[in-house]
Amino acid sequence: MLTEVHVPDDVSAAVRLLAGGATAIGGGTCVLPWLNDYASPPTELVSLRRAGLSGIRLHGDTVEIGAATTLAQVEHDDRLEDLNAVVRSIASTPVRNLATVGGNLFARQPHGDLAVALVALDARVTLVDETGSRELPVEELTNGAGLVTTVTFELPRPGTFRYVKAARRRYNSASLVTVAATVTEEEGTVTGARIALGGVGPRVIRAHAVEAALVGQELTADTVRAAGEAGRGEIEPADDAYASAWYRTRVFPVHLRRALLGH
Amino acid sequence: MPVRIVNLKVNGVDQAFMAKPETTLLLALREQLGLTGAKRGCAQGACGSCTVLLDGAPVVSCLVPAATVDGSAVATVEGLADGQELSDVQQAFIDGFATQCGFCTPGMIMSAEALLARNPDPTADEVNEAISGNVCRCTGYAPIVSAILDAARRRRDRAGQEATR
Repeated sequence: MLTEVHVPDDVSAAVRLLAGGATAIGGGTCVLPWLNDYASPPTELVSLRRAGLSGIRLHGDTVEIGAATTLAQVEHDDRLEDLNAVVRSIASTPVRNLATVGGNLFARQPHGDLAVALVALDARVTLVDETGSRELPVEELTNGAGLVTTVTFELPRPGTFRYVKAARRRYNSASLVTVAATVTEEEGTVTGARIALGGVGPRVIRAHAVEAALVGQELTADTVRAAGEAGRGEIEPADDAYASAWYRTRVFPVHLRRALLGH
Repeated sequence: MPVRIVNLKVNGVDQAFMAKPETTLLLALREQLGLTGAKRGCAQGACGSCTVLLDGAPVVSCLVPAATVDGSAVATVEGLADGQELSDVQQAFIDGFATQCGFCTPGMIMSAEALLARNPDPTADEVNEAISGNVCRCTGYAPIVSAILDAARRRRDRAGQEATR
């Protein structure tokens, strides 16, 4: 049961409250469902709605998104074309108007598709706690690391970012397999690849083996199939209401191929 | 347990009420303000029967602690009609038999109102996307989509008539 909902006006007040043991919420779309049964902890919340953490800024090609920016704000920002489609694949409009970018980083799999994309984009977070602030790659973020205030990344070069989310329905369904990739090529050869996977593990998975299998190769049906085989060793899918682990393992290479080759 | 006063502008009228920490926006609307159009379905943000407009944007009000939206404007299905005259969306739902049990209808209508405010001429697929967070367990989706497209047409026709007047 809830004993208090704090709505601090700035980050330092929020950090103080969090240090006292309260739980942060952005839009509340992950935490409130747990609380609505009146039984689950936590009991004290800190809403970041008024803490001055909302907004999207571009400095050249560097994108800085405040942690309390809603998914809907990202969805409708023309400057973030690659992320518009990512966000539209998450939940529904009435949820995206509440859910935040910072909150999505802590959404449990098979949710959290924006976090998958942000790992592929090599995004970093700024974390604040009572000792000060520091930066961390999204990939290394863990629960309790501190208050995420901003997410920062470089806009990918046109055509280098790929994203596919397979789900039971076209709209508003959790991930079966999500593939986000940033792939650079020179004269037909892959020179760099950052590949992140959702829906196929207890957390966002950085697919190092897939990346290693692709670098130095041309993107063809054969090389992508081989990369998919390499990736089978690093996914850890589970059974849930959406699909079995067996199914996810079976179709993972298909969606990797669709992300990388477009068919 | 701390109780605080929350101020909202609901359907254009200033309202103030006492909110406990666990008072959600949905609970406040239904039990403090007597506006029972928005429904408590799943209380998980998954069914959309509690959809209202918060500062113009549709949200699942079951997931919003009331204390976090102090000072905001809220629109509910009760505020759509102009006296006895229903809104285009409401009238199109009646004319198109787009309600069965009616439980999802207020949420569907608020999602539709938000869509038409942003996009006066949506395709059927855009309607599907806009109501993808609203579950109808009578599964009467086809007449709902038709009614929303019909409401869009009525609204465009009226705008056209007013422009030529």
